[in-house]
Amino acid sequence: MQPEERAVTGVPGFDAMLRGGFLTRTANLLEGAPGCGKTTLGMQFIHYGATHGEPGLILTFEQFPEQYYRDAAGFGWDFRELERRRLLQVIMSSPEVTKADLERFNGRIAGLVSNMGVKRILVDSISQFERMTDDPVELRNLLHGFLNALRREGLTALFTREAYVLLGDEQREEDETEASMSFLVDSYVLLRYVEIESAIHRAIIVLKMRGSAHDTHIRQFDIGPHGLVVQEPFKGREGILSGTPQYMAESFIKAFVRR
Amino acid sequence: MERENLANRAYTGDIDPDLLDFLNQYVDSFIKWDLMRFFFNNPHTIDTVDNIARYAGRNPEAVEQELAELAMRGLLEETHMGTLVVYALSADPEIRDRLSRFIQASEDRQFRIRAIYHVIKGGY
Repeated sequence: MQPEERAVTGVPGFDAMLRGGFLTRTANLLEGAPGCGKTTLGMQFIHYGATHGEPGLILTFEQFPEQYYRDAAGFGWDFRELERRRLLQVIMSSPEVTKADLERFNGRIAGLVSNMGVKRILVDSISQFERMTDDPVELRNLLHGFLNALRREGLTALFTREAYVLLGDEQREEDETEASMSFLVDSYVLLRYVEIESAIHRAIIVLKMRGSAHDTHIRQFDIGPHGLVVQEPFKGREGILSGTPQYMAESFIKAFVRR
Repeated sequence: MERENLANRAYTGDIDPDLLDFLNQYVDSFIKWDLMRFFFNNPHTIDTVDNIARYAGRNPEAVEQELAELAMRGLLEETHMGTLVVYALSADPEIRDRLSRFIQASEDRQFRIRAIYHVIKGGY
């Protein structure tokens, strides 16, 4: 039996959570609140690939490519140079055009896969597909077709998705896309803000990874000068995903000690 | 008439002939200029009139004709994808190089003033 091929993300600590990286040719979802580091993690994944023999695409539906060049430069990643060397291309488009492109024979993305040897793609963000229809069944079919087209091209895909809650215990309406995506993708990674002692921290957890074991701890991460760094699990606390964790001892007292 | 020609020459006299040729060939409106700068800064954009107009902060009706003309002149590529018509910057390295030279030249205030005057006058 051959060992599973992994697409190493290059994010310190995160690859260990994934037991070596994402499985290649899979669709992977990265969900989190605005500003929590989804795009940075995605750029880090693409940059690592481009500098380690796996050219990549960034497909942006929201931000201008020039913002990626600028933000990447802030972490010391020269995306313009990678584009010049044909190891990267930052494409700005819309879901409807991308869908039409992937559906036709030898479209632009397929051409880049064969001409540049593209192996990875960051889709930032999949939330824009929600503009295409109000019908949840149609949306699920659209997303399914899109994910399969990227798999067909042999790409390891990372999709970002906005979570519209900042902290975990806010009320929210039923989220059809989240339900669809979490079933359709091969792995599902959640980034969250967590409030601890009046300070906001960032947390990461791998909720699902089809075909692979993975770390089930909720870990803290920081965004440093060279990108994301995943650290140790939160210790001695629970309720991290609620956004406002408490010490286990406090929970124990609340649950078992009469006042 | 003669005075006007002299004034025109005073404005365009120092423009590099290739840049002047580029101006004459492609830049006959400020919307086109804007679109060129947009495609230069975001060179792998491929999208519909409506979306490009949104990215550029313009009205689709104002942008549609300009995109079509830039495609006719070879600066952009027009592709039909089913019912969609999409535009992207030409992949021709020579055209990209000329666009790059034009946008970089536009950073210079003196050149910009001359080029603006040229566009207002409608070229000559």
